[in-house]
Amino acid sequence: MSSEENLSADVVIVGSGVAGSSIANELVRAGISVIVLEAGPRVDRQHFVENFRNLENKPSYQEPFPAVPWAPHPPNQITPNEYLHTSGPDAEAYQQVYLRMIGGTTWHWAGCAWRYLPSDFELKSRYGQGRDWALKYDDLEPFYYQAEVTMGVCGPDPAVEDLGSPRKQPYPMEALPISFAAQQFRKLIDEKTPWRVVHEPQARNTRPYANRPTCEGHNNCMPICPIGAMYNGSYSVYDAEAAGAKFIPNAVVYKIERDAANKRVTAVQYFDPDKGSHRVTGKYFVIAAHCIETAKLLLVSADEQSPDGVANSSGHVGRNMMDHTGVQVTFISGDQALWPGRGPLETNVIDNFRDGDWRNERGAYLVHMVDDNQVDLATQMAIAKGYVGRELEEQIRYMAAHTVRLFSHNEALPDPNNRLTLSKTKKDALGIPHPDVYYKLPEYTVRSCEHTRKVFRELIGHMHGTEEQWTPGYFPQDHPSGSTIMGVDPRDSVVDGHCRTHDHDNLFIASSSVFSTVGTGNITLTVAALALRVADTLKKELTHA
Amino acid sequence: MPKNRDCPSAPLWAVSPNRMRLSKLLRMSRRDVLLSGMGAALAGSAAEAGEPDAQNGALAATDPLVQQFMVLSQRLTDRDALDARIGAALCMGIVQSGAERKTQLQALHTVLTKEQYASASDFARAAEKQDAALKDVIHEIMTGWYRGVANGKVVVYRSALMFDLTKDAVFPKTYAAGGPFYWTSKPPEVAKPNGLPALSPSKFVVEPT
Repeated sequence: MSSEENLSADVVIVGSGVAGSSIANELVRAGISVIVLEAGPRVDRQHFVENFRNLENKPSYQEPFPAVPWAPHPPNQITPNEYLHTSGPDAEAYQQVYLRMIGGTTWHWAGCAWRYLPSDFELKSRYGQGRDWALKYDDLEPFYYQAEVTMGVCGPDPAVEDLGSPRKQPYPMEALPISFAAQQFRKLIDEKTPWRVVHEPQARNTRPYANRPTCEGHNNCMPICPIGAMYNGSYSVYDAEAAGAKFIPNAVVYKIERDAANKRVTAVQYFDPDKGSHRVTGKYFVIAAHCIETAKLLLVSADEQSPDGVANSSGHVGRNMMDHTGVQVTFISGDQALWPGRGPLETNVIDNFRDGDWRNERGAYLVHMVDDNQVDLATQMAIAKGYVGRELEEQIRYMAAHTVRLFSHNEALPDPNNRLTLSKTKKDALGIPHPDVYYKLPEYTVRSCEHTRKVFRELIGHMHGTEEQWTPGYFPQDHPSGSTIMGVDPRDSVVDGHCRTHDHDNLFIASSSVFSTVGTGNITLTVAALALRVADTLKKELTHA
Repeated sequence: MPKNRDCPSAPLWAVSPNRMRLSKLLRMSRRDVLLSGMGAALAGSAAEAGEPDAQNGALAATDPLVQQFMVLSQRLTDRDALDARIGAALCMGIVQSGAERKTQLQALHTVLTKEQYASASDFARAAEKQDAALKDVIHEIMTGWYRGVANGKVVVYRSALMFDLTKDAVFPKTYAAGGPFYWTSKPPEVAKPNGLPALSPSKFVVEPT
């Protein structure tokens, strides 16, 4: 079945998350016509808030966001998984979750809005590890700021607390005041260690901003901010739509057409939920469909012209899969009551391990002391210990006030053997193959995690901690990256420094899939900055054409 | 033209986690009703304690099993006052969570009526001593009142007792009411408790995300 309609725009974007919607918003405001194709449905915040409140397993960030049959996403981080099939020695460390719906995965992010460090872009030349990006920090700096303004990022004054990423402008909003628990943690780090705790930059309002309210500390950034004080991709969708961009939900792109020379993309084709096929033509195309789905789409589009997949003359589409692998421990502090869970989830970070000469041997990382309400966990633990009645109530209060959780983001390296391929056996309701990922943790990351465990043990000692519960093995931090890696050499990379595919002049990729290394900070701000840089390139080319 | 699917044909509410749990629960309940109906026919008896009302699917607060459940709950929480409507809903969830639960609740009630217990701990200790399997149903009662959960489903969220116990320090997630930056203030200190567990410990598994 094929549609008669004529869908066409200057720029056709696949994916409506932070990257796709930010590009749409920029372009449409410059008078450029835009169509955004989103595989999943249009959704609303209150529905998710209600789902969350009715959820028995509250830490299950994915569960309030059920997928639709035509755009499945991983239901959880459990291996084996119903959608993202991981294998290899560290299969469980790559069991990522993400969302396919209007607005994308930032429906359940924590708002952590880090800039990468200049060294993160030059890992190879500075430390002899991994790769260099095909751009430098300075190339991205103006777009980092633009992304911070768009998203509404609060952060510390660099004169007081320099986070290591040089800024030409102050943060759009003042830093979020940290909780009592985080204040005590910072005091302890100051007094007992050579390290420091910094304010985490966050896409969260510390004053009314962009028609959204000030954060009220509902402590539910993940899985859903109930009031929209935290930015998510849906706001860029609304802005772009208000300016005239056309968003088509439930449009599952399954094919990327090229011209006879295989140099330019001419159209994309999508299925609607009834598998009716539609064709959308344009001058430029941007795939902004998340690291996993972007690589999947390029591979699914394989044909006679490109038997290994679109934009894949290098053979690197789907390779170099990276993440911030995590180490996590929960314990009971023996010191004063902290009562975590007052305020936003993630507000403070130990940043001393983000960079150093040792990066020639082991990966960098950062440490979060998570400010997560522990009342439910304390209750479950106290019941399991066998308490009832008054004694149970005393235990709940004590453990809720003293439970501490630490986790890290440990840097991966691009390894071509860590690879996404199309499932040969599993397909979705439209007949599109599920993604398979083979994953083995780089030794570089393993050494980094070992260092983190030592640091955590030291911190537990300083806090007179007991009842340590280490999350087994290595766990995914849902920051997948690298599947369409950036580089200067078309023989071993998929996109250039402007995120343009080496193979197709008018095809761009806006996603963490272009990352050449993964650094330590949460990936979203860098995704947004790269996307805005793509928008800038497109504006120049379309305006001058 | 593509159809307008802003409201997808498979409505999201129909596939939300709770809805899925609810349908599972209803399926179980139908089967249980059938089984219990067969049992009742064989035994030649009619209405029984702990049977949901046919019209609204709920247990009545006046149901004898709910009344026993409330007496048990007050003893096990060391509290005199508990909400009977929440109790009826929790009782139904617990009964539906396993075929043996109803009998266990009744057995637990029998233990309670045999002796005067000074505390929840004394009673729980005696119950487990009499029948180790009663520990599970005590866990379910504790989980019901303190977490607001029965049969894997949220019965109440904000009204769960764990939030009542901690309301001087933290808010239930999504229900903060302290205003911006309330979190910078000092929360109450909590002395280390010295009470002992009454029941033998159980394995605790953190549910995966």
